[in-house]
Amino acid sequence: MKVEFTKPQLALRTELREYFDQLMTPELRQECAAAVGEGGGPLWREALRRLGRDGWIGLGWPVEQGGRGLTPIEQFIFVEEIMRAGYPFPFLTTESVGPQLAEHGNEWQRDELVPRILAGDLLVSIGYSEPGAGTDLAALKTTATREGDEWVINGQKMWTSLAHFCDYTWLAVRTDPNAAKKHKGISIFLVPNSDPGWSATPVHTLGGVRTNATYYDNIRLSEKHLVGELNQGWKLITGQLNRERLSLVNVGPTSQLFNEVTRWAQQSTCDRDGTTLIEQPWVRMNLAKVRTGLEALKLLCYKQAWAMTEGSLDMADASAAKVYGSEYFIEAYRLLGEVIGQASTINSLSAKDSVLNGRIESLFRTASIITFGGGTNEIQRDIIAAAGLWMPRAAR
Amino acid sequence: MEFGFNEAQNEVRELSRKMLTELVTAENLSRFDEYSEERFDRDLWAQLATAGLLGVAIDEKWGGMGFGFTELALLLEEAGRTIAPAPLLSCLVSSALPLQEFGSQALCERLLPGVASGELILTAALMEPGNENPAAPSTRAEPTGDADYRLFGSVTCVPFATQADYVLVAAQTTGGVIVCLVGKESDACICSPLRVSTYEPQYRMDMDGVFVPADRILAGPSEGARVMQWIAQRTIAATCAHQTGVVDQSMRMTASYTSERQQFGVPVATFQAVGHRAANCFIDVECLRLTTYQAVSLLSSDSEASIEVAIAKIWAGDVGHRVSYASQHMHGGMGIDRDYPLWRYCLWARQNELMLGSSSSMLAELGERIAAGEAFCA
Ligand SMILES: Cc1cc2nc3c(=O)[nH]c(=O)nc-3n(C[C@H](O)[C@H](O)[C@H](O)COP(=O)(O)OP(=O)(O)OC[C@H]3O[C@@H](n4cnc5c(N)ncnc54)[C@H](O)[C@@H]3O)c2cc1C
Repeated sequence: MKVEFTKPQLALRTELREYFDQLMTPELRQECAAAVGEGGGPLWREALRRLGRDGWIGLGWPVEQGGRGLTPIEQFIFVEEIMRAGYPFPFLTTESVGPQLAEHGNEWQRDELVPRILAGDLLVSIGYSEPGAGTDLAALKTTATREGDEWVINGQKMWTSLAHFCDYTWLAVRTDPNAAKKHKGISIFLVPNSDPGWSATPVHTLGGVRTNATYYDNIRLSEKHLVGELNQGWKLITGQLNRERLSLVNVGPTSQLFNEVTRWAQQSTCDRDGTTLIEQPWVRMNLAKVRTGLEALKLLCYKQAWAMTEGSLDMADASAAKVYGSEYFIEAYRLLGEVIGQASTINSLSAKDSVLNGRIESLFRTASIITFGGGTNEIQRDIIAAAGLWMPRAAR
Repeated sequence: MEFGFNEAQNEVRELSRKMLTELVTAENLSRFDEYSEERFDRDLWAQLATAGLLGVAIDEKWGGMGFGFTELALLLEEAGRTIAPAPLLSCLVSSALPLQEFGSQALCERLLPGVASGELILTAALMEPGNENPAAPSTRAEPTGDADYRLFGSVTCVPFATQADYVLVAAQTTGGVIVCLVGKESDACICSPLRVSTYEPQYRMDMDGVFVPADRILAGPSEGARVMQWIAQRTIAATCAHQTGVVDQSMRMTASYTSERQQFGVPVATFQAVGHRAANCFIDVECLRLTTYQAVSLLSSDSEASIEVAIAKIWAGDVGHRVSYASQHMHGGMGIDRDYPLWRYCLWARQNELMLGSSSSMLAELGERIAAGEAFCA
């Protein structure tokens, strides 16, 4: 047991920080800020291709899959640093869909799509949720039916994030309506968002984040678009979500935010008596609570990255990190927002008066997404009780 | 970044878990309830010594196994899992470790083999009435003779003080804090027993000129405060490890109980409100375990770890409190029935919570470090 980064890992972190300092030009920052941390703009795309060219995207991937052969721990350090730098990294594509395709994809997917993902040239949106299928994802109704050599896709998805600038949608569809259990009749297809039968309408959310309703109207696909085996999609979905969870609760941005709020409080005078804000006991208490919680989240994440290296990612641990992280973020933004005070409600559009570029104003509005997104915390707690503590579950 | 255990660590863990779960049973523990017997299982102590576990972190040349602080902390975690009635923390962590690190060759040679063989018991006084900072004692040491001292003052909550052969005590001199081993041969030291929640033998010691010969000084005035901080950090980290065992066991007991106990025709575990509170315990215990392992790992390599130790202790306090009450609640009445083993765990969760700094006091300390710019995230 050695709960410390090795020297090469520390060196990697330093190298990445310098690299991202250069990558994140003021123009790129401005473009990303306008897209509410989603990316998708031309400078953002160019930066992603540069990351690909410089070999960063597949840092921790095996060499035979086109990566640099380091471990998931180095991969995690990379994602942590890029998110700390404020670049909206398309981790759904690179960290969860990509590795699933490399592992379970057919020749076309492995030899053509995966290299493009590693090159920063191909983006995939996730199409699971539907108007009637949220937490109970297996209730989904979008279908793929076989006609001759082709599959015909029909249906509607909801909350298909990033789809308006992605190349493909990783789509969950029903392929066997008569399966004994509803999650046994589901398959995954890669649907080109450029297909004439594909369309999207925007859905605007509290945080300013745009997501989409997406429509699938008689889209005809050849067999090569099927991922993995027919009717075996559920395993791909849970595998993808397990990987996604780790990226969702990355500590990079919050570490950065803690440091910045601390520095801000060290420099700001307190309205009461002209001393600095950081001298107030309650400010110290808030910061200490954020710091304490952050340390645990960091370790939960690193432990998972380590477990992936060992090939022993534990389901209960993955769910624990997701639940803890998503709820911790909400509390941390509150505690840090209190330190800044009412000024933490001033939007970055009021550049002169906002504090730390209005980051907390915006985080407050986006914080809830991952308590229900990425597998709602209620289901995660069910998983923890069952897989981590062997408690029986109610029949559903 | 390595969260797995090496071979030695696995061995220590498995051996101590096996021995402690076999030898420390609920019936066994009930002997000590309400102080009906001194809460020190000397047979257990002898068997742990025979198995080599008392010397786990003692150098081979003094009769130990020669492993480090990580292995010792893993033993403490198992002691917490069974709430073993033995002075593992006070003897092996708070006093034998600093003796080995800072004591003279001669003193180590005289005492450490006895600790490893179980024949000699050490303990440490880390608290005074109204003063929880072990590095800033108000007990005084007055020089006498060539290099000897006499101690004046009171310490309290000293575990196993009358059972131990020597008590590690810190005292203030005009030049700084010294750390020494006090023998109890003298009339000038009066030990009065305390009654505490856990039934652990604890004492107040009033010292009125206790004589300490020069050869029992572990640290002189220029380094005593630093040595006491060294001791406090390791004692806190080991307490967190003990707490990890305590709450892990309480939580698992609760998971089993609720899986068996039926109401409304189904196991109560199947009610989501119950399952989710247990899941919260699981998350809490994991946070405590990982912050503890991080602190232990850093201390094992003698790295600076004061922030990480404080953070682990905050978790130990909060998680101890939450898991203790959650476990009681999910057991219903059985949780506090003295014929069922859970209640004793709750007492230990509480002792560990408050020992050497509560969560709030540790948060305040951490807040000071943050304000001073000493605790930025890396
Ligand atoms: C900004 C945003 C981006 C998203 N991006 C994507 C995306 O890219 N792709 C995609 O497929 N989906 C996406 N989603 C959808 C997201 O995954 C769903 O919102 C989520 O699965 C929850 O489904 P729901 O919204 O239908 O809530 P519901 O399932 O209706 O749940 C409502 C409430 O009931 C609770 N609940 C439900 N079932 C249970 C149960 N069995 N036990 C206890 N409580 C229960 C839930 O926890 C929740 O609190 C996104 C959503 C948002 C808002």
